Amino acid sequence: MIEIEHLTKRYGKKTAVDDLTFTVKPGVVTGFLGPNGAGKSTTMRAIVGLDAPTSGLARVNGRHYSEFRSPLTEVGALLEAKSVHAGRSAYKHLLALARTHGIPKRRVTEVIDLVGLHEVAGKRVGGFSLGMGQRLGIAVALLGDPAVLILDEPVNGLDPDGVKWIRLLLKGLAAEGRTVFLSSHLMSELAQTAEHLVVIGQGRLLADTTVDAFVSGNGQARVRVVSPDAARLAESLAGPGISVASPERGVLEVTGTEAAVVGQTAAAHGLVLHELRTDRGSLEDAFMQLTADAVEYRQTSEGANR
Amino acid sequence: MTAAVMTDRPAAYTPPVHYKLSAAGLLRSEWTKLWSLRSTWIVLLCAVVFSAGLGALIASSVPSDQALGGAGAALDFSMAGIALASVFVAVLGILTVTGEYSTGSIRSTMSAAPKRVPVLWAKAAVYGAVVAVLFGVMVFLTFFMTQAIFSGTDLGGVSLADEGVLRALLGYAAMIVYLALLALGIGSILRNSAGSIGFYIGVIMILPQLATLLPWNWVAEVTPYAPGNVPNTLLLVDPTGANLSVGESWLWMGIWLVVTYGLAGVLLKRRDV
Ligand SMILES: Nc1ncnc2c1ncn2[C@@H]1O[C@H](COP(=O)(O)OP(=O)(O)OP(=O)(O)O)[C@@H](O)[C@H]1O
Ligand SMILES: [Mg+2]
Repeated sequence: MIEIEHLTKRYGKKTAVDDLTFTVKPGVVTGFLGPNGAGKSTTMRAIVGLDAPTSGLARVNGRHYSEFRSPLTEVGALLEAKSVHAGRSAYKHLLALARTHGIPKRRVTEVIDLVGLHEVAGKRVGGFSLGMGQRLGIAVALLGDPAVLILDEPVNGLDPDGVKWIRLLLKGLAAEGRTVFLSSHLMSELAQTAEHLVVIGQGRLLADTTVDAFVSGNGQARVRVVSPDAARLAESLAGPGISVASPERGVLEVTGTEAAVVGQTAAAHGLVLHELRTDRGSLEDAFMQLTADAVEYRQTSEGANR
Repeated sequence: MTAAVMTDRPAAYTPPVHYKLSAAGLLRSEWTKLWSLRSTWIVLLCAVVFSAGLGALIASSVPSDQALGGAGAALDFSMAGIALASVFVAVLGILTVTGEYSTGSIRSTMSAAPKRVPVLWAKAAVYGAVVAVLFGVMVFLTFFMTQAIFSGTDLGGVSLADEGVLRALLGYAAMIVYLALLALGIGSILRNSAGSIGFYIGVIMILPQLATLLPWNWVAEVTPYAPGNVPNTLLLVDPTGANLSVGESWLWMGIWLVVTYGLAGVLLKRRDV
């Protein structure tokens, strides 16, 4: 269980996290979502006591992180930036951390095998690829077999195999009753892993809900129609609040109404339909819609603004 | 009712109970960290080679028809390399801390030990002990080697049994440990490799020497108390007439370490990692 209460963090004049309050419960994977610079990494650093909050609290299982007698078994963290000395081998990095808590060498080799770094464990981390560095970070997080896992963009740099692996791993860990909290700016990624969602923008809470509720609440449903009489159907559908677009000949995309209404209209006018289907708003759309006002670093080229 | 509610969720997970953060663990961790970097081996090897090599080189190049100015001068010649080695040792002391900041490994370190200050103690204890053992050996090794060179010539050597010699040799070892600890503390305060090394060489090593050239009297009065100068008395075979007595020398070394580590500890607690 992670409790964030009125957490505010300012760096000079810049407010990175602004009066944030939410709880991350054990037993499910919770996704932490927000555009670049939203304050995800800052919040996570505050949880493990690396950054002191300007005001408010970040607690793990009712306590401040620094109060734990064995921090590594309470919280395992993968933080965004590389947190390893480039001149040290993966094995020695893990071993040094393990020794602080009297964790045996056996456990070190265990996590190395688990993340698939067996062959390069003796090599200097400086030569690691992004994905290998990420795997090492995951190994560090798992080292103490902790009750709470905090992972800042864990899929960053992983190959498709790795992405699938970590998805299953995290779900498995949550199913054991652990608290799993992972950040991403890729909504689609989180949707496949997380059950619960915390969305922030410009340091403020935008949503704290389940993935399902989030999608149905924010994504606008769109009805897709394929018809040889597309032009006439578009005319008969026209009305207040309804918009009709035609991405290609014979295809309509209707928003602001339901598939049933479209079907009835077509029947009433004796129009032939080849296809009628509801596209649930994609997660990315839902996310974009929610954070539209809270995006801080937006590219200015037109093509990129969809 | 309660039972039904409880089966709703997976059973609460209990983490392993036998893993505990401890002071001994932090010491072992710092030991592992120190020796798992190639730079440690290279820099300490340099320090060892310079201290012995330079001592031997200087000792064998002293013109043998010239009388040595007593035991004090004999020791100055033989220990010239130790003084140079102290620079290597100080730089490595700085890097054990600043290297963690520049690479980001400090975040791993401090998430494993979130009270932070014990990490500083562990680092200082491990590095101080390594330097003490290594240079405890090197000082005597260099001494016996150089005296062997001297005794083959007209110069004659000094003996450990000569008055003040043993104390001066231990003084060299103490100085190098003190400088190593001082440098490590500076690294912890400044966090930046280039800045800390620059500060150490500029302010600790060179500034007190330059200060003697300044025209004001008070500067000459305070320079013996500068952090880089306070161990000087310990190196003398005959400390009478030195600016600081042997006792004062120890006292001021203690004061500077307390000041440095006090500041380092407070800053470590207060700043974000
Ligand atoms: N140490 C720091 N000093 C100054 N500003 C900072 C610091 N850390 C973060 N910030 C600022 O705080 C804001 C939030 O940053 P943070 O890294 O938490 O965002 P994020 O949600 O993790 O973004 P991303 O998705 O790009 O990783 C940003 O505007 C960033 O510039
Ligand atoms: Mg981030």
